[in-house]
Amino acid sequence: MINEGDCPGMTDAEVSACLARGRAGDEGAVLELFHYMYPHVTKLVRANLPVRESAEDLVQQVCIKVIKNLNQFSGKVPFLHWVSRIAVNTCLNQIRHERYRPEIRLADLSKEESLMVEQLATLSGDLDSSQKVEAKELVDKLLAGLRPADRLLMRLMYLEGHKVEEISGLTGWNIALVKVRAFRARVQLRRRYALLMKETP
Amino acid sequence: MNPIDDQLNRLFRAASQAGSDPVPTPPYGLEVRVMAAWRRASPSGFWDAGLLIRGLIAAILILGISLWPTLHNTATTNPFSDSLQLADSYTTAQIDNTP
Repeated sequence: MINEGDCPGMTDAEVSACLARGRAGDEGAVLELFHYMYPHVTKLVRANLPVRESAEDLVQQVCIKVIKNLNQFSGKVPFLHWVSRIAVNTCLNQIRHERYRPEIRLADLSKEESLMVEQLATLSGDLDSSQKVEAKELVDKLLAGLRPADRLLMRLMYLEGHKVEEISGLTGWNIALVKVRAFRARVQLRRRYALLMKETP
Repeated sequence: MNPIDDQLNRLFRAASQAGSDPVPTPPYGLEVRVMAAWRRASPSGFWDAGLLIRGLIAAILILGISLWPTLHNTATTNPFSDSLQLADSYTTAQIDNTP
């Protein structure tokens, strides 16, 4: 769910005007666009940050790609959708060859995370709001064991709440491929979580 | 014990509510590098490649148009062109053979 409102400070009309001026060579307009998209790009890159890769380097790559290709933006989708697609594909290209996928063990979890796993198994209902951060850390550890593309897909689908069609638009994969990948990734995730559960006393 | 899918769903729900770290303002160095890349990529005023290419094409066209009548006339309409060439080559050969 990408909204222009995620990056406050510019309305759609202002973005369009900036784009027109930027294409005409107005440096100030390009700078405005850079400041407008920077928080969005940074969030996306941080969420899909490949292991051992500097976030700032990737953010720079994405911003340069966007700024250099302003003329190719057709305007059929909102500007931030287009930026997101470039960001997601840049991340995908970076993580494609990543091979380090650690197996998660109960001993790798913090005390709070272990308690949370027990709580999830025994109690029903949503977790306490104070456990959000631990939940995110546990999810990060679980996702770290998946293949890079699957990890990105799981994040987009379950953490950022994108629909299959949106993910298809962001990644360039067709809808069937997104569904198949999501299914396989979910099976992997379930297997890893089940292993963790076996170790729980 | 709750089914694994249910546990995972609750875990994801809680994780998705955790806000991400606030995004700081872009570092000055990054801004400079991005703008420099844009300047390198953007056409540089009057002497951009497009203008040069268009100029070159126009020059070739003008050259072709101005030479065409001359070449056309020499090749097709001058009835003495072959004789003239023969005479010219004979004269050249005579000059070359002169001791």
